[in-house]
Amino acid sequence: MKKNLSLVILFSALPLLAHHSFEAEYDFNKQMKVSGTVTKVEWMNPHAHFYVDSKDESGAVTHWNFELGAIPVLLKQGWRKESLKAGDQVTVEGFLAKDGTKGMANARRVTLPDGRRVFGGSSADTNANQ
Amino acid sequence: MRWLLLGLLALTGAQAQTPPDLSGVWIVSGSPNLPSDPSYLPEALKLYQERKAGGDQEDPAKYCLPNGVVRVTSLPYKIVQTPKLVVLLSQGNTHSYRRLFLDGRSHNLDFGDSWTGDSIARWEGDSLVVDTIGLNDRTWLDSTGKPHSEALHVIERYRRPARDRLEVQYTLEDPKMLTKPYIFTRTFQLAPNREIQEYFCTDTNIAAQRAAPR
Amino acid sequence: MNRFVIAAAGLLVALGPPSARAQARTIPFPGAVRPTTAPPPGPSGPLPHMPDGKPDLSGIWNGQRGLPNQPEPEMLPWAADLTRQRTENYSADDPEARCIPAGVPRATPYHYQIVQTPSLLLLLIEGNIHTFRQIFLDRKEHPKLSQPLWYGDSIGHWDGDTLVVDTVGFNDKFWFDMAGHPHTTQLHVIERYHRRDFGNLDVQVTIEDPGTYVKPWVVNRVSTLETQIEMSEYVCNENNTDALHLVGK
Repeated sequence: MKKNLSLVILFSALPLLAHHSFEAEYDFNKQMKVSGTVTKVEWMNPHAHFYVDSKDESGAVTHWNFELGAIPVLLKQGWRKESLKAGDQVTVEGFLAKDGTKGMANARRVTLPDGRRVFGGSSADTNANQ
Repeated sequence: MRWLLLGLLALTGAQAQTPPDLSGVWIVSGSPNLPSDPSYLPEALKLYQERKAGGDQEDPAKYCLPNGVVRVTSLPYKIVQTPKLVVLLSQGNTHSYRRLFLDGRSHNLDFGDSWTGDSIARWEGDSLVVDTIGLNDRTWLDSTGKPHSEALHVIERYRRPARDRLEVQYTLEDPKMLTKPYIFTRTFQLAPNREIQEYFCTDTNIAAQRAAPR
Repeated sequence: MNRFVIAAAGLLVALGPPSARAQARTIPFPGAVRPTTAPPPGPSGPLPHMPDGKPDLSGIWNGQRGLPNQPEPEMLPWAADLTRQRTENYSADDPEARCIPAGVPRATPYHYQIVQTPSLLLLLIEGNIHTFRQIFLDRKEHPKLSQPLWYGDSIGHWDGDTLVVDTVGFNDKFWFDMAGHPHTTQLHVIERYHRRDFGNLDVQVTIEDPGTYVKPWVVNRVSTLETQIEMSEYVCNENNTDALHLVGK
């Protein structure tokens, strides 16, 4: 199914902010990158979330809970509710949660099934203006 | 010839008629709940009965979530009318607003569904007719727990038959839950000395600041 | 070295060494970065007017953004200490993150729609919570309020082509920004809205609060007109799982 999606790669021209301080919840020093299959998408405020199952070499599965930006920010970047669906193969780059919750991270960049690498509307990009 | 001229004058007068002004602060008369039960399909009726039996623990309003477009509170509403947009402000529930687009646009469901949906409006004589779709299924039609699905289609007809009275006729269509459309009318009283007061449900309701039950 | 640290260091250099600062202190805030460049301009075009000849501020506007290189406020010691604590704790206790009203004059990345009539200016706010402010253009006095408010009581009048909005009656529970600048109930906010042209709205905010700030704090911001997308229904508390994971330092 052709996705009617045009995502704009944005830099700090647009404040990509969340409703909370990035550093209160996620750790800049704990970067992560993982590939896997989307199992669920929660298209709700204040942050959209999507869940991914990734497998390591031994076949062990990790369940990830990724935070995207606030929906108004995502919409402006071209994201829609249907941009990600269960079953999609994605690669996610981001930062782990500070409180150590396993599998919880902020998605800074997502490589979509069609190969495009897009911003996740993350507050990591700047907390300016808030 | 005189009759022709008078006829033409009457016609142009009718066309130049300005729509009524619905602006003001309004309070619902009597109970805010639906006056009767809609005609539910069996599954929907079961859900309704479960909610009635379970009390209001799952009531989204208790978690400071929006009432949607059918459920109202007894607190004041304010209508601010402009030529291309009518805004409905609510003091209670989430102290939020509905925008009724009068600029001739068609429905836009690009963002998916939401608590208050997408409302487009037009004038039909002295009635403001508002058509709303794109509603999620998470609101209750009233405090007794009457359910609806995301297929709910609401038509509201606003009239101001007297300076201090607003009548709103609601038509609810929901092919997933109702056997037939449900129609009822609400009356609102003008509250000329009242203004919308601040009321924020999440202010003290700690549970409401967090994730809501599905 | 990440750019947040660089920016914070730059601010410290600009403010001078600690010994040069008097009792009233200013705070650089490592947790939030002040903009270093002006935002890109909005669409050009003629300024629209209302039937009565006043500028028409109506439209959907992008969130207000501060202009670069604006001075930090001078705060009383209690306020400087509190702001530092909040910033050093990465704003974990920011009430805005718990879907509590952000008050005035907090800037957010969300839209707001101005609906203007001769007697009332409505600000329909997309987020942090989906609410509204009423700015009454048909009265000159603030009424006696029975309780302190999150958004205060706002009255407005035209000064040439600038709408001057005067607001008092605030509670002291919200933060001005992510850095955590505080205030008392003495807060008096003056916003000056000037629509430069079709797509650009200048907003100058003056914060007066002798209980917190040594002198009025002026912040210059700009909003650009949103032309591509509608406002969405942002219901902050519909799935606020963040509230459980805000750790701070």
